[in-house]
Amino acid sequence: MIDPRKVIVCRCEDVTLYDVEKAIDEGLTDIELLKRKLRIGMGPCQGAGCLLVVASILARKKGVRVTDIKIPVSRPPIAPVQLKFFAGSRRSG
Amino acid sequence: MARRILIIGAGVTGLFTAKQLLEKGFSDILVVDKNYPGSGGSFRCATGIRASFTSREHVKIMLRAIELWPKVSAELGIKYSRDGYLWLLTRESDVEYFSEVVKFQNSLGVPTRVLTPEEAGALVPGLNVSLVKAAVYDPLAGKASCFDSVVNTLRHLLSRGVRVEWGVEARRIRRSGSGFAVETSRGELEAEIVLVAAGWGSRRLLETIGVELPIRNLPKHALVTEAFKPVFKPLVIDWATSSYIVQLFNGNFYIGADIPEEYDVKPAHKLEFLRKAAGVWTRLLPWLGEVNVLRYWTGYYDMTPDHHPVLGPVEGFEGLYVAAGFSGHGFMMAPAVAEALAEYISGGKPGLPEFERLRPERFARGELIKEIAVFG
Repeated sequence: MIDPRKVIVCRCEDVTLYDVEKAIDEGLTDIELLKRKLRIGMGPCQGAGCLLVVASILARKKGVRVTDIKIPVSRPPIAPVQLKFFAGSRRSG
Repeated sequence: MARRILIIGAGVTGLFTAKQLLEKGFSDILVVDKNYPGSGGSFRCATGIRASFTSREHVKIMLRAIELWPKVSAELGIKYSRDGYLWLLTRESDVEYFSEVVKFQNSLGVPTRVLTPEEAGALVPGLNVSLVKAAVYDPLAGKASCFDSVVNTLRHLLSRGVRVEWGVEARRIRRSGSGFAVETSRGELEAEIVLVAAGWGSRRLLETIGVELPIRNLPKHALVTEAFKPVFKPLVIDWATSSYIVQLFNGNFYIGADIPEEYDVKPAHKLEFLRKAAGVWTRLLPWLGEVNVLRYWTGYYDMTPDHHPVLGPVEGFEGLYVAAGFSGHGFMMAPAVAEALAEYISGGKPGLPEFERLRPERFARGELIKEIAVFG
C-alpha cells in the first residue's frame, strides 16, 4: 500500500493524494472547491498536470464517472507570459 | 425557531449570513447556488477591505466590518491582515481632491493620511516615485482570503447541519401560505423566509414577484501573476488610471484595471485590458515586467445608481429580504452585512442606523445615497 501522503497529485502547489481525499471527506465534493482549498490548477501549469488526476480521485470517491466531473475553466494565457510583452503592444482593437 | 430560511446565493454574503442566523438560533437553513459556492464575485474579487470611502454609509458600515473581520477570521481560519491601502496620485488636481477626502474620512474616524512620494516608496519597494506627486495611505485597510472565506464558512455550516446545495438555479418566487415558494431547476422549495443574495441575478429573480431593483452588471477584468515571497503589503491604487495591484497571501500579484465597458453584456477577454494593466504597472513598478502572468479572468460589479447595495426587507413582502447590488464592495462588507441581515430576519433592526438608508425602497423614493464626490 502506498502512503497517500507521499503521492504528489499537484506538483506546482505540492498537494498530495492525502490532501485531496481529506478535503473531499470534509465536504468539498466539487472540483471548484478543491481548487480554492488546495490551489490545484492555480500554479504555473494551470492544471495541465493535476486536474484530470483530481477529477478521477473525486469521481472514485463520489461513485460517478470521471466524465461527469466538470473541469474548471482554463484561463488565458495558455502558458505563462511575462507582463512586459503585453506592455509593449501598441496594436489597437 | 422552526421557521425555514432559504438563502439564494452561496457567495460570501449568503454564507456569512447563514452563519449569523445559526448563531441567532435558526436551525432550518437551506442555501442554494445556481453554480457552486463562491462562483460569482466572491472567488473573483481583489479581496481588499477598507473603510476609506466617501459616503457616511459606506464608511460606518465598513468600519463595523473591519471590527468584525478579525473575529470571523479567527473563528473560521480565514487569512486576514491589516496591510493597508495606498493611493498613488500622479496629478496635482488629485492631490487637492484627496486632501478633502482625507479630512472627511478623518472626521468619521478613518485614519487615512497623505504621504510624500518617498514615504510611498518605502511601503512599495521598487516604486518609480518620480511619477508620483503624493500618496494617501489607509493603515486600517487590509485584505482577507476570499477562498478561505467561502470554503471555511461552507465547511463550518455543513458540519452544523445547514444544507448548502449547488447547481440549483432559482427561477421564480411567489407567495405561498405565510411564506414563499421558489421554483428552481430542481423543483419547488418552500420557506417562510427568503433572502435573495444572488448579485445581478437578484434583479431577475425578484422581478418574478413584482419587485424592481435597479441593478446593472458591469464587466470587470483581473489577472494574477506567479507567486513570489512578500514584496509589499498594501493594496496599491493608481488613481489616475483606475488600476490597482495587490500581492495576495499566496504571493501572487493580482492586478485590476478599468477599460471602457458596457452594462449587462457578457464579458469577453480583451487585449486592451492586458495592455493597460501591463502598461500602468510596469511603468510604476518596472521590475514587474519580468513577472509571468498566469491567469486572466472577468467578472462583474453588480452596480446600483448610487453605488451602494440594496439591502434589507422588501417592502410589502413580509419575510422577503435582499442583499445585492454591492457595486464592487460586497466582499469587504460581508461580516457587517451578515450581522445586519440576521438582525432584520430575527425581527429586530441593525445596530448601525446607516443600514436603514440602504433599503430597497430608497430608489422609488428618490432617497439615493450621497457621496462627497465619486471615488473608488
